[in-house]
Amino acid sequence: MRCARRRSWPWAASVAVVDIHNVSQTFGHGEMAVQALKATSLAVEAGELVALLGPSGSGKSTLLLAISLIQPPTTGRIVIDGHTLFDDGPTGVDVRAFRRSKIGFIFQQHNLIPFLTALENVALMLQINGVSRRDSTRRANDLLGILEIGHRAHSLPAQLSGGEQQRVAIGRALANEPVLILADEPTAALDTQRGTKVMAMLRQIARERRSAVIAVTHDHRMIEGFDTVYHLEDGRLAQVDHHENVDAAALA
Amino acid sequence: MELALKDIRRHLGKFFATIVGVAMLLAIVLVMNGIYQGNIEDGVWLIDNTATDLWVVEHGRGGPFNEASRIPLDSHKSIAATPGVARASPLALYTAQREINGRDQQFTVIGYDIFGGESGTGGPGRIVQGRTITAPHFEMVADRKLGLQLGDRVPLGTDHYNVVGITSGAVDSGGNPLVYLALADAQKVQFEQDPRAISAAAAANLQRLDKAGYSAEQATRLLPLLSGGNNTINAVLVTLAPGANGAAVAAHISDWLYFNVYTTTEERNLMLEGKLSKMAAVLGLFRTLLILVSIVIIALIVYVLTIEKIRSIATLKLIGAPNGLIVRLIMTQSMILTLASFALAYALRDLIAPGFPRTLAFVAPQTAVTFAVMLVGGVLASLMAVWHALRTPAQLALGS
Repeated sequence: MRCARRRSWPWAASVAVVDIHNVSQTFGHGEMAVQALKATSLAVEAGELVALLGPSGSGKSTLLLAISLIQPPTTGRIVIDGHTLFDDGPTGVDVRAFRRSKIGFIFQQHNLIPFLTALENVALMLQINGVSRRDSTRRANDLLGILEIGHRAHSLPAQLSGGEQQRVAIGRALANEPVLILADEPTAALDTQRGTKVMAMLRQIARERRSAVIAVTHDHRMIEGFDTVYHLEDGRLAQVDHHENVDAAALA
Repeated sequence: MELALKDIRRHLGKFFATIVGVAMLLAIVLVMNGIYQGNIEDGVWLIDNTATDLWVVEHGRGGPFNEASRIPLDSHKSIAATPGVARASPLALYTAQREINGRDQQFTVIGYDIFGGESGTGGPGRIVQGRTITAPHFEMVADRKLGLQLGDRVPLGTDHYNVVGITSGAVDSGGNPLVYLALADAQKVQFEQDPRAISAAAAANLQRLDKAGYSAEQATRLLPLLSGGNNTINAVLVTLAPGANGAAVAAHISDWLYFNVYTTTEERNLMLEGKLSKMAAVLGLFRTLLILVSIVIIALIVYVLTIEKIRSIATLKLIGAPNGLIVRLIMTQSMILTLASFALAYALRDLIAPGFPRTLAFVAPQTAVTFAVMLVGGVLASLMAVWHALRTPAQLALGS
């Protein structure tokens, strides 16, 4: 296991889409203070798929929340797609507007809006970005078609299987053509076959659309789908060169 | 995309049940508006229909509608002799409860001078069948709420009265139907006593005279003077002579004859500020309470609906949806609840009104004010839910 470092992939541009430098996250004050992230640095290039491994409480989800500025870090610098969102404090960028236009989210529990159909869930992402109703419906339909779930476009999430829901969630995450996709246990709720399929789709789309993907996962079955694997322990980030080098302990 | 409507689609049953419940409360509020306005119209109608310039009542009294007023019967002759008075008509007015058409019914009797003016000052209005009273005795005009027909003979006291006219909507400020009688008949019905009560009163008076030292012959001669008689009325209606100054005539009657005098406007104000103001206060209190209850119900339902989708709201925040979208989602649901409830209440009101036992008068401005209050209430009702939604952290979507 080696320390995190930048590396280039044949498909990637040399400029990092995500550049995180010395990010720390401390909760509480004084003696009660808990440091969840310790001077963490990470760079992810366009089209690159990064997995974050680590035991519970190691800071994986905290890092995702910090990158997306949902829970801004205490110190450090976060640059996404050339925009400095945080530099030891807010930089004045409208973070929520940035999230809806540049970042896609995929959750373990899918988090689809239960009163919207599959099509509406995907179209919503486009509509909050200002795309017209007509265009958003057309583009959402196209996306669901690519994800091979077009035939369930008018079903409510409760009427879909776990795999179908996850594909809709991926559709929603991709709808705004994000530069960065953040995923929290994207395949944990799926069986191996469906998980592999979802992972393959994510990989294909990341390559084609040149979106960087950072995913928190415990799912060792899917590790081989990632380009780079990082291990987080006690708030510190370390890189594992390749999925084959990931030992069982890292996935525990 | 209208998220509010999509969410309602999922909670249609709960939404519809709330609309029905709130609509029932609002329908009561709207009917109460109608009762209040109906009472005003009825009360004021009676004053306006009496078509007089001045009302003369007992000194120091606010009668004849708000307070009992008794003045001597012959006082209308002295008032008629006042400079500037064209005509002075006596008026008797009292509430009675008698058996009519096989059931006890409360009504207000108006006894008037049927030969005063063209058709008798203070006589009936809103006649829909038959005619006004023309015979000096035993004719009556009654409102249709009493259930009488033309030609019916109604026993009042020891006499029977022929129904010669039927009115519609001729009621007092309390909603009681009016019965018009010739003045003498009205007084007879009012003061007529049971023979046994007359005998008992006469015996008591004779005993008092005996104790005072009067002989039996003197006591018998004095007895009629002590007996109560039908020689009082409740008001005198004054019609001014052309060109007469109403204020001067009123001052003259007040100063020289020692009566209270009111113009029609003042009598209307007495009615509005007296009897009707108390009723308005009671109805106002109930209307306020019902509106508050309706708003609280809407607030609770909107809050519950918001809590039920709080994870979806967190997801919306996480994917970057602006706060405006979330506020609109909650506000729209609150507004739909409010508007649909009001619309249903309005329809219920129109359904209830025809069979309602009292006069209901609906005026657009009052309905508009109720609507506006509910609209503002609906917005306020959603504030708690909006506050909660905006405080919800986006990370709740991730389960943290």
